[in-house]
Amino acid sequence: MSGSNHDPRGNRDFVGARVIDPKLGLDAIRTIVVRRGVVAALLEGAPAATDSDSERIDCAGMVLCPGFIDPHVHLRDPGDPQKETLATGLAAAAAGGFTAVAAMPNTRPALDTPERIARLRAGAAAMHGTRCYAIGAITVDRAGDTIAPLRAMAAAGAVAFSDDGSATKSLKALYNAARYTLDLPQPFCSHCDDPSFADGLMHEGDTSNRLGVTGSPSVSEAAIAARDLMVAQATGKSWHLCHVSAAQTVELLAFARSAGIRVSAEVTPHHLQCTDEMLAGFDARYRVNPPLRTAADTAALRDAVASGLITIFASDHAPHTEPEKEPPLSHACVGFTGLEVAVAATFHALPNVELATLVKNYSSNPAELLGVAGGTLEPGSPADITGLYLGRPWTVDPHLFYSKGRVTPFAGITFQVKPALTVVAGSVIMRDGEIRAERTAATPVEQRSSP
Amino acid sequence: MTKTKHLLDLDDADRPFIEALIARARQFKAGVPNENIRLRGKIVLGMFFEASTRTTTSFAVAATRLGAAWIDFRVSDSSLAKGESLEDTMRTIRAIGADAIVVRHAESGFPHALARYFEGAILNAGDGAHAHPTQGLLDAMTLVEEFGDLKGRKLVICGDISHSRVARSSAKAAWLLGASVTLCGPPSLLPPSVPGWGFAHISADMDAVLPSADAVMLLRIQKERARGDDMPPYADLARSYGLTVARASLLKPHCIIMHPGPVNRDVELEASLVRSSASRIERQVENGTYLRMAVLERSLGSSTREHVA
Repeated sequence: MSGSNHDPRGNRDFVGARVIDPKLGLDAIRTIVVRRGVVAALLEGAPAATDSDSERIDCAGMVLCPGFIDPHVHLRDPGDPQKETLATGLAAAAAGGFTAVAAMPNTRPALDTPERIARLRAGAAAMHGTRCYAIGAITVDRAGDTIAPLRAMAAAGAVAFSDDGSATKSLKALYNAARYTLDLPQPFCSHCDDPSFADGLMHEGDTSNRLGVTGSPSVSEAAIAARDLMVAQATGKSWHLCHVSAAQTVELLAFARSAGIRVSAEVTPHHLQCTDEMLAGFDARYRVNPPLRTAADTAALRDAVASGLITIFASDHAPHTEPEKEPPLSHACVGFTGLEVAVAATFHALPNVELATLVKNYSSNPAELLGVAGGTLEPGSPADITGLYLGRPWTVDPHLFYSKGRVTPFAGITFQVKPALTVVAGSVIMRDGEIRAERTAATPVEQRSSP
Repeated sequence: MTKTKHLLDLDDADRPFIEALIARARQFKAGVPNENIRLRGKIVLGMFFEASTRTTTSFAVAATRLGAAWIDFRVSDSSLAKGESLEDTMRTIRAIGADAIVVRHAESGFPHALARYFEGAILNAGDGAHAHPTQGLLDAMTLVEEFGDLKGRKLVICGDISHSRVARSSAKAAWLLGASVTLCGPPSLLPPSVPGWGFAHISADMDAVLPSADAVMLLRIQKERARGDDMPPYADLARSYGLTVARASLLKPHCIIMHPGPVNRDVELEASLVRSSASRIERQVENGTYLRMAVLERSLGSSTREHVA
């Protein structure tokens, strides 16, 4: 690539790549012509002569996709800068190939007021990197009792609502919150885990029983999923199940789909392939919620992606410091750093799923869930682009992460797919793992308007 | 596991490992000359985060008989709860200087965590519901004393299997020596899959499994562990899986009765059975000291030291 990245006009031609846009049914060599941060055209072959007013970016060997959107990240801002900050979290997102992320509200304090939503959005916008959307808490302080100012948060830009980190405790609060926002497009995103199993340190099954470790069974997830799906059915509110981990929950999803309930579901790369046997030596690093379950569960999740029951991927990026992930199990924080391995690990887990489906689950489907721009390279769309190398082996070394979180079950694993390029509104914010100069083009972040 | 100086559990133990420890324990029981200088100069710290009478005392006596010094290191769990990392705590202990730590903790896997930060030997005296390896070994020793070869012998362990570290270690040790092991309790307190833990039979019907037993081990029904939403009512469990005199009539004449102690009389074991001729409960305690001598010698003895150094 040539020239400077500092092009306030956002005029660039991305040349020579295989371009995949499932929404357009496109999979062919194209030049993506970007003008003023927007896709202007998808040309067959390179332009004959480079427009002197634009920068030509050689993307030969890459696959260019609509920008990847991670609908489920924990940026720890405000409250835990030792774990992550907006700057490190969004740098990690850019490095991982994500053009946008949605931040969960379980910060300290929680994102449960319009002021906090606005503050996060403004802080992220000032980074000029990966876009960052905010998800508002359903209940005040995520305590599960008192309905938060949902309509004001929607007006301030919240793209969804969730008490993620735990299930909304009060069924009544959840039901009334759903009805209160019935006319708003923002979906409710359920973290399914019954609070009475909060003492579980891992999946309850043969491994936990052998170890004598208190577990949380699949039914802890499935029972809350069933409850929340009934609320979705009763109210008609659009719903989303976060990080599905159990085969039993997949069965519920199939039921919900057949019953016409408006629900989507996401799965993480670790739940697609890692099992509770990773904790067989009491390895506290692998503590996560929902817990790693069994090989039968991972197989059911992969099947659910293949069959289209699960249509969204999410990293559930949950950074902690290394000391916070030390044993004993009960002392270890839950969750993994995810943004910088998610794409590679997800593709790795699903070798038999079509590339177009994998791309859709990371782009147009999360865009549709959150009601945000992107998800396609159709002319007129913001030029948010994710570039991948499909066959470039690399080995995960967490010490090279931009994230402050270094603990991932994928450390030391060699993957074939590597994020190569992250473009937001026409600006290259990452190329070959290197975070580039700040995004400068003026880029209105298009969102659905809230009444 | 068997190649390290630690004794964390019996998960990776094999038959020769167990046989060697039992053989050495039986030598100590018969009398070994100059036993009191074998671990002279060694410091053994007892770190008991959970109350314990017999295991602490048994380890302390075993260490003292071998000439080692036993120090009660009273660490409260609160220093960890207050935010001190386990690593910092262990650095402190290492700086103070000790050759071995005997640890008991309510959390499964806690001794394994200690072993990451301590260069000396970690001897597990019970971690959560996971393991109590010296109890498992002393139970195996008691069975061997009784029956010699355990091949074809049947051990039945009754009660709250899932929450019992004794059940895990005793079942494993007896099975490694050739015994057939049946775990008996209500379905919610048994291993979820058959065979239990990969090697044991499981049954919810105590009356059906007692007639073929050569040894029956009752577990202490732990009142303190029973909580409203976790465990069945204490009395209900005791009535269903306790050994009464009436039930004992189902046992073969030579069948022995074992219990890791302390016994809740008339709960899991009817009082008159505690000191009956079939009872080996005091023998288990007696053997515990010799077995722990063998374990301490293995971890701290000079031959081990050469390997470690």
